[in-house]
Amino acid sequence: MSRDLRIAVIDKNPLRAAILEDGLRAAGHMSVVHIDDTADLLERIHAIDPDVILIDLESPSRDTLEQMFKVSRSVARPIAMFVDRSDAAMIDAAIDAGVSAYIVDGLHKDRVKPILDTTISRFNAFAKLKKELETVKSQLEDRKVIDRAKALVMRAKAIPEEQAYALMRQVAMNENKKIAEVARSIITAAELLR
Amino acid sequence: MTKRLRIGYVPLTDAALLHVAKAQNFAAARGIEMELVADSSWANIRDKLVAGYFDAAHMLAPAAIAVSLGIGHIEAPLLVPVVLGLNGNAITVSKALFEALLQEAQGDMSNPRVTAKALARIVARRRERAETPVTLGHVFPFSSHHYQLRMWLRAGHIDPDEEVRLVVVPPPFMVETLRKGQVDGFCVGAPWSALAAAAGAGAILHQGTDIVHDCPEKVLAFRAEWVLSHKEEVSALAEAVGDASRWAASPSNRSSLVTLLTSTAGKDVTAAMLERILDTPASTSGSALVASGLRLDEDAIKADPAQALWLFAQMVAAGQTTYSDALAEAAAAVYAPALGPAIPRAAATPVIFDGPAFSPNDIPSYLAALEDGRTSA
Repeated sequence: MSRDLRIAVIDKNPLRAAILEDGLRAAGHMSVVHIDDTADLLERIHAIDPDVILIDLESPSRDTLEQMFKVSRSVARPIAMFVDRSDAAMIDAAIDAGVSAYIVDGLHKDRVKPILDTTISRFNAFAKLKKELETVKSQLEDRKVIDRAKALVMRAKAIPEEQAYALMRQVAMNENKKIAEVARSIITAAELLR
Repeated sequence: MTKRLRIGYVPLTDAALLHVAKAQNFAAARGIEMELVADSSWANIRDKLVAGYFDAAHMLAPAAIAVSLGIGHIEAPLLVPVVLGLNGNAITVSKALFEALLQEAQGDMSNPRVTAKALARIVARRRERAETPVTLGHVFPFSSHHYQLRMWLRAGHIDPDEEVRLVVVPPPFMVETLRKGQVDGFCVGAPWSALAAAAGAGAILHQGTDIVHDCPEKVLAFRAEWVLSHKEEVSALAEAVGDASRWAASPSNRSSLVTLLTSTAGKDVTAAMLERILDTPASTSGSALVASGLRLDEDAIKADPAQALWLFAQMVAAGQTTYSDALAEAAAAVYAPALGPAIPRAAATPVIFDGPAFSPNDIPSYLAALEDGRTSA
């Protein structure tokens, strides 16, 4: 049994990094280190001496990692990027998920692929979670705006709640807009005319 | 029919012509809808262009050549129909290093030879005392920024690989690293030096043009394979960049240009900074050698194969590859002016402040002359 691979995760998002670490541990990788995206990155990597480096594509530090291909003296072992150009689907999946991987030169592909698979699926899961959270947030926000606008319409026209809402919905349908957009216009207009 | 092109760029001042081509509708007039996608690293730009996520990209000129030649770890032939500008870099040093250089300098601090010799004494002293070596940042292994630092060091007879540490620092981290003393200085593109100076983290020591006149910077790059099946789109976009260049170089459009770039730049970039970063259009109409800022004019955008060869020579001088006629030929072929706007005049030639004259036809002699300059006292 070969020794456990050391994995460094570079991600400025601590929550996503934690989700990924969790996934890698579940897959049996116990030596996972999260590195914050900082300026002394090369020194940190030198100290950890990882076999695999996983990095968030949004991190500008990818360019610092590029230097490792050239400046082998600053890292103990040469590093290669995990791009097997025959495996276009893998590259596409990694770019879509927003992650890139670097591995110690000579490490067998079969040992790295499951790690990258886990990384891609955890990154995607995180993105999905984030999107859901944003949807919920904006729905809550819309609800508040609609309630405020409804109150304004009720007061201005001296009509009951259902009628005010029906009126707003009618305008939204006529103008092919979302009811929240109509509500925002009402609030803006009310503030202007106050 | 309008064709939509997805174009990756790094938010720097020298993405200017792409913003102009889009905002002034030069691309639209030629049937191209530009989708400009900001990205955070040159490695991403390269990978996404090579993988087909981008149709075209704002790319470091040496990076485009390196990828085409397979120097580094990815090989994918690229083509450059048009250059996106010349100059724009600056060497900025920490206040501590600036003070130390002032102490050591024998002569005019605006002369890079004077500062390089002063730096050599500081480098030697730190080595004698076994202190942390002088550390200088740049943006990518294959970048003019990297080569400009090496040229400056060479003027002080400092070995860039043994006596100092050259490190890649992403521009958004430069100010912080300078403040923390993790680097003593860096060579970076606009607007990052201006921002570091404005933040009080460092002082601009030299403009890039003090080191190299008319230094190649960014190019518009396409996958060579994609160009074969999309010649019309490639030429239309390159022509739109040509239109943008003529517009940007016209003094009457100067304030509109600054306003546009203020809106595309980061929040801390002011109009006054951009005024200093951009070359003054009037100065380029005479001798090109007076240009001290980012050049966007027509003479600065021609994809002259001689420029590609000059960059290839700098890669060899930096030890990133070895010279061969075949590689030189391949490097020259990355620049494809026939696909770009027709510019009758010759392109600007880069000139190193203390270097030998460059002759694209005899790179080995040029490299030997560079080497002599390094070893003679």
